[in-house]
Amino acid sequence: MSAGLAIAWAVLGGAFGSHRGRLALSVLAIALGVALGFAVALINEAAIAEFSGGMRSLSGSADLVVRGPRNGFDEALYPRLARDPDIAVASPVVEVDARIAGRDDALRVYGVDAFRAAAVTPALVGTTKDALDLLRPGTVFMSPAAAAWLDVHPGATLRVQSGTHALPLAVAGYVRAESGERFAVMDIAAAQDAFARIGSLSRIDLRLRPGGDAAALRERIVAALPAGLEVATPDDNAALTRRLSRSYRVNLNVLALVALFTGGLLVFSTQALSIVRRRSQFALLRTLGLSRTRLIALLVGEGALVGAAGSLAGLAGGYLLADAVLRVFGADLGAGFFRGVAPDVAFDIRAAAIFAMLGIVAALLGSYLPAREAAAATPAAALKAGDEQHAFARLRSPLPGAVLLTAGAAAAWLPPVGGLPLFGYGAIALLLFGTLLLLPRIAAWVLAAMPRPHAIAPALALEQLRGAPGQAGVSLATTVASVSLMVSMAIMVASFRQSLDDWLLRVLPANVYVRAAAAGDSAYFSVDEQRRLASIDAVARIAFLRTQGIVLEDGQPHVTLLARDLPAADPSAALPLVGTALSLRAGDPPPVYVSEAIVDLYGIRPGARLHLPLDGKQRNFVVAGVWRDYARQQGALVIDRSEYTRITGDATATDAAVWLAPDVTVDEFRRQVDARMPGAARMSIATPGEIRVRSLRIFDRTFAVTYALLAAAIVIGLFGLSSSIGALVLARRREFGMLRHLGLTRRQIAVMLATEGFAVSSIGLAVGLLLGFLMSLILIHVVNRQSFHWGMTLHLPWGSLAALVLALLALALATTVVSARQAMGHDAIRAVKDDW
Amino acid sequence: MAIDRRRFLIAPLALAATVTRGEVVYPQVTAGTALAFPRDHGAHPEFRTEWWYITGWVDDGDGRDFGIQITFFRTRPGVAEDGGSRFTPTQLLFAHAAVADPRAGKLRHDQRAARSGMGLAEAALETTDVRIGDWSLQLAGQKYTANVAARDFAFALTFSARQPILLQGERGFSRKGPRAEQASFYYSRPQLTAAGALTLDDRTLRVNGGAWLDHEWSSAFLAPGTQGWDWIGINFDDGGALMAFRIRANDGSVHGSGGTLRTASGSVRTFEPAAIRFTALRYWRSPRTGIVYPVAFRIEAGSLALALEPLFDDQELDSRASVGTVYWEGAVRALEHGRPIGRGYLELTGYGGALKI
Amino acid sequence: MIHLDRVSKRFPGPRPRTVLDGITLAIPRGLLVAILGESGVGKSTLLNLIAGLERADAGSVTVAGSELDRLDDDALTRFRREKVGFVFQAFHVLPYLSVARNVGLPLALLGHDRAPAEDRVQAMLAAVGLADRGESMPRELSGGELQRTAIARALVHRPAIVLADEPTGNLDPDSAAGVIGLLRERLHEEGATGVLVTHSRAAAARADRVYTLSASGLDPTSL
Repeated sequence: MSAGLAIAWAVLGGAFGSHRGRLALSVLAIALGVALGFAVALINEAAIAEFSGGMRSLSGSADLVVRGPRNGFDEALYPRLARDPDIAVASPVVEVDARIAGRDDALRVYGVDAFRAAAVTPALVGTTKDALDLLRPGTVFMSPAAAAWLDVHPGATLRVQSGTHALPLAVAGYVRAESGERFAVMDIAAAQDAFARIGSLSRIDLRLRPGGDAAALRERIVAALPAGLEVATPDDNAALTRRLSRSYRVNLNVLALVALFTGGLLVFSTQALSIVRRRSQFALLRTLGLSRTRLIALLVGEGALVGAAGSLAGLAGGYLLADAVLRVFGADLGAGFFRGVAPDVAFDIRAAAIFAMLGIVAALLGSYLPAREAAAATPAAALKAGDEQHAFARLRSPLPGAVLLTAGAAAAWLPPVGGLPLFGYGAIALLLFGTLLLLPRIAAWVLAAMPRPHAIAPALALEQLRGAPGQAGVSLATTVASVSLMVSMAIMVASFRQSLDDWLLRVLPANVYVRAAAAGDSAYFSVDEQRRLASIDAVARIAFLRTQGIVLEDGQPHVTLLARDLPAADPSAALPLVGTALSLRAGDPPPVYVSEAIVDLYGIRPGARLHLPLDGKQRNFVVAGVWRDYARQQGALVIDRSEYTRITGDATATDAAVWLAPDVTVDEFRRQVDARMPGAARMSIATPGEIRVRSLRIFDRTFAVTYALLAAAIVIGLFGLSSSIGALVLARRREFGMLRHLGLTRRQIAVMLATEGFAVSSIGLAVGLLLGFLMSLILIHVVNRQSFHWGMTLHLPWGSLAALVLALLALALATTVVSARQAMGHDAIRAVKDDW
Repeated sequence: MAIDRRRFLIAPLALAATVTRGEVVYPQVTAGTALAFPRDHGAHPEFRTEWWYITGWVDDGDGRDFGIQITFFRTRPGVAEDGGSRFTPTQLLFAHAAVADPRAGKLRHDQRAARSGMGLAEAALETTDVRIGDWSLQLAGQKYTANVAARDFAFALTFSARQPILLQGERGFSRKGPRAEQASFYYSRPQLTAAGALTLDDRTLRVNGGAWLDHEWSSAFLAPGTQGWDWIGINFDDGGALMAFRIRANDGSVHGSGGTLRTASGSVRTFEPAAIRFTALRYWRSPRTGIVYPVAFRIEAGSLALALEPLFDDQELDSRASVGTVYWEGAVRALEHGRPIGRGYLELTGYGGALKI
Repeated sequence: MIHLDRVSKRFPGPRPRTVLDGITLAIPRGLLVAILGESGVGKSTLLNLIAGLERADAGSVTVAGSELDRLDDDALTRFRREKVGFVFQAFHVLPYLSVARNVGLPLALLGHDRAPAEDRVQAMLAAVGLADRGESMPRELSGGELQRTAIARALVHRPAIVLADEPTGNLDPDSAAGVIGLLRERLHEEGATGVLVTHSRAAAARADRVYTLSASGLDPTSL
């Protein structure tokens, strides 16, 4: 046997040598897929670790954290908790996202009692030579990351915005935060004063007495808490953060896996063709006594080598890529989930093992299918020249493909699993695999239906395709996979973008929008400022808006409460409602309009009663309608502003929508605001057009990574397409040689090949377009809806789809022609003598 | 004095010496102001700094001696006087407690710090009633009650006064430096009878003994260039009491000193600076901080000459890890001609300055 | 019909090699000529020169009235399409076409109408003894049948010459004898001239004339 093995290795080794280029391509494809997957995993891991680490350092040794609405809760709770015999330390904290003067960014500012925080969250205590700086109003301590970010260091002045006023804060030093969060710390009294938070706290960190029972204490505290407050452990908070970004991270992982999948497909096409070309060699080995299993093992081993080499290169590449991405784009990859952290990448053994394994498995599968085929051939038949065509001639049963398609269609209707659209992703995978399995049959069916052309070259091309539908299947598979993935993403993104655009038009009906500040939650319009703004000559009509973050359910993230002026008669005029608004009956509580995310996340339906924690008490509302909101993924609620003010006594506003008087320009309005409003310079005044441009820019930035990953997958797919076409053409040089003998001109052979390429690409494009369309429906209605709770309407980007089709056709033709040149560069005389 | 100003949390003494940015004007301590009780047992929040300081010896009846210390400091930082916030840090309160256990050979100590307000940390005006969370010191009639629940010890002790209030300096006006404003209001309650419970390692002991209380308030009592001070308060076995202090300049000279002796019969003698002399007899180097303290002294006050010998050497209060201050505050025996005649406390501050890393 | 006049062919490269040196050969119409020789003496090169697949370095090649040296690549292709038929050692029957389609390829290339072409194909298939195998796929045929298909394909468009390079190389002796006999019979029937390159004396023996190609040149041989 060892002699047989030696021969086998000699033959296989020779094969390795002779198609080194395509082998390198396979290794590269696997490497790229593994690199992308590993990089995404590393980046996510780094971001999460940094974020949780940051949360841990910021929550210090707290056992429990009491938190409430974003704008705070009554501080009277604090002494009550501080006196609790089971609580060792209660540390009150005020959190404000203060807009940084002159920038559209906000900096988280923590107001702390240093005496308390020192015992629970030392990371929130500044270090300074003059300890009194910890207490001085107008003094602030920066985290090193924040200082570096804003280039504001001790001795300098940090300027933030409060209300519509600028607030200069002297930077007295750094805080001891070890991780990379951006924040500033000041005395709690000063923070309450400076940001109009007198009497209110954002959270209270609790440390238990040694040996205390956190669960029991939590239960006891929760029972006595005012409405809208919750008690969480720091772990809960970290988990919440992870959950907030999970859909996004999973989405990126899936895209990386797609890249790995196309890499596997490329290995499959390369291996399939290389194995087919070596059929007679394998037949020889079989004749010499190599068993079928041994042969499969040999070929699969070859694939495993490719996979291992690719995985190894991929891991190294992925690590470097992750490092570079974190450096350049930051942890959130531009999507805004991990604001204000700058983590370092750490080599994650577990992720490395998983992706190396995936890479090898992809290559193994890519090799196994053609290897099984090769081993199944009867040695005698395979020894005959020309038998390779037979490998492609057989059509498999359509049953497995049909079963996969059906399963895919069914999976699309299933609900999310743990907030993730696992079945949605599964449905897409099933549809894709089902289609790939059915491809040879579809191709045969389409080719059979084509009329036979009169000219000899195209006729020959069609005959060749009909005669060996399996051969075209390899190129078809890569084409269909690339095209369908590309098309589905293109349709989904276009639909999303168009829906966002339409939505912006509906939610921005006024001429100008004025915000108290461009970022953060530290700015607002006082009642007096609202009056002044309304009395400006240029203003024909003005509507104010107050935003607030509240907790609807324990353990859930803040949802946004928007208190705005709603026309009672027709709320849909002010809101992009999905469906119709409920008409209220006499005696109904005041209406609340919920966004689609609220429906998805909390299962709240129109007509239901909803308790909103306002001013520490549960207030009764009736859900009067559902509206579409692309701005707040965790959900948003709209209530009438007068109702809000009546309940909370809070008459401040954060935003204003302004309808201008006839013939007044926006510039004129700006001038009048500048003249009449003292804090005008710090307000943000924007037209709907400007907001639209900005929103779409953010949208594009968010999808930039998605595009990049997809592009990588597609590039691999196209590599596969080119390589399979090229390999096929090269494999047929004897045929071309013979045809040249018979008197076919070079041009006729080129036409023949171009026809083949065109036919295969057309079928691949058609099937890919159709499949991509179906997959886009799943992306839109299942994956996106379940992941991000965004409802959207289907929009087909005809222009880009047409460009895509043309580009792919051109690529297929170009590859064919280039390969044909290469094939005919070979000596027609030698070609006909080749026996294998 | 050269205590690192970062070490702020328990260093109201340091605060007092800090030249702040003059955000507020503190009242001066002036001679001739008559102290009035019980009002002057209470807090004087307008002054920059104030403390109530109890030191004493107790034993468990089985011959086991312990040194006991509890101190409440109040300070008015003067940086944020008028904010609308209930957290505005107009007054800060600090507390230190320590137990000297000869068997352990070192101090157990702990501290608290808080801004006053919200009922969580308060210093009452009417009489001695200061608290930070569950640490408190209160006066009712002639009896002080101190409650401390620390990390590794706790005590609930009463201190009953048997003797009248001892006004230090000129009827409670105690000069600390060459300038008129370098002074404090200062009175002591020597010969307090201590009784109550002391809990160590989850074992509660009934203890009895004697103690000394100082209550002092000021706005700026230390001269610039001060390195630290040495202070003693001794209860004599015969019922008499001696307080003496000296303030050391950072050039090694003595800025000022003073003392008061009340004899068993009740006659009070106030010493001129020249009449007080501290002579170090023995030094001890802390293995933790490397600081060298003169833990045994020869004290001369007028015609009185005493040798002070510590209960044990290592009574250094090292809280660098938490709040950063280091000083020596220890139980000492007073000997005359080698014969014990009284017990009290010795306080040594500012020795770490020169050795600071 | 075929006239080679002092034809020489050299292969350049790291080890340049002259395979044909001043060969002169004239083959009259209607004869089957066999060329014997050791491996590597240039038998196939001679055949390729006649087919216009390679160009001579010196001398002239005239086939069916065309002076091949004067034709460009397109003209040579047309020349082969119309005037030449090929039989290969490895058959080279397109696996994805039926036997009839394979045989009909040259006619399709010449743009013949389908109906008469099909008649001609059928006639050729009958002539090579494959009348009922027209709709078979090549893989269903034996080696001898495949080569008979190739012979039918080589003659279907009535070429002036048929070139056969080791047509019996992949066949057993019985099939080989049958194939050469059939080739000669069909050539005579169609009035075409044939050149058979082989190293099999048995195959050569069935030709009308036999030459032996060696390093010293081309010599008439009688077997």
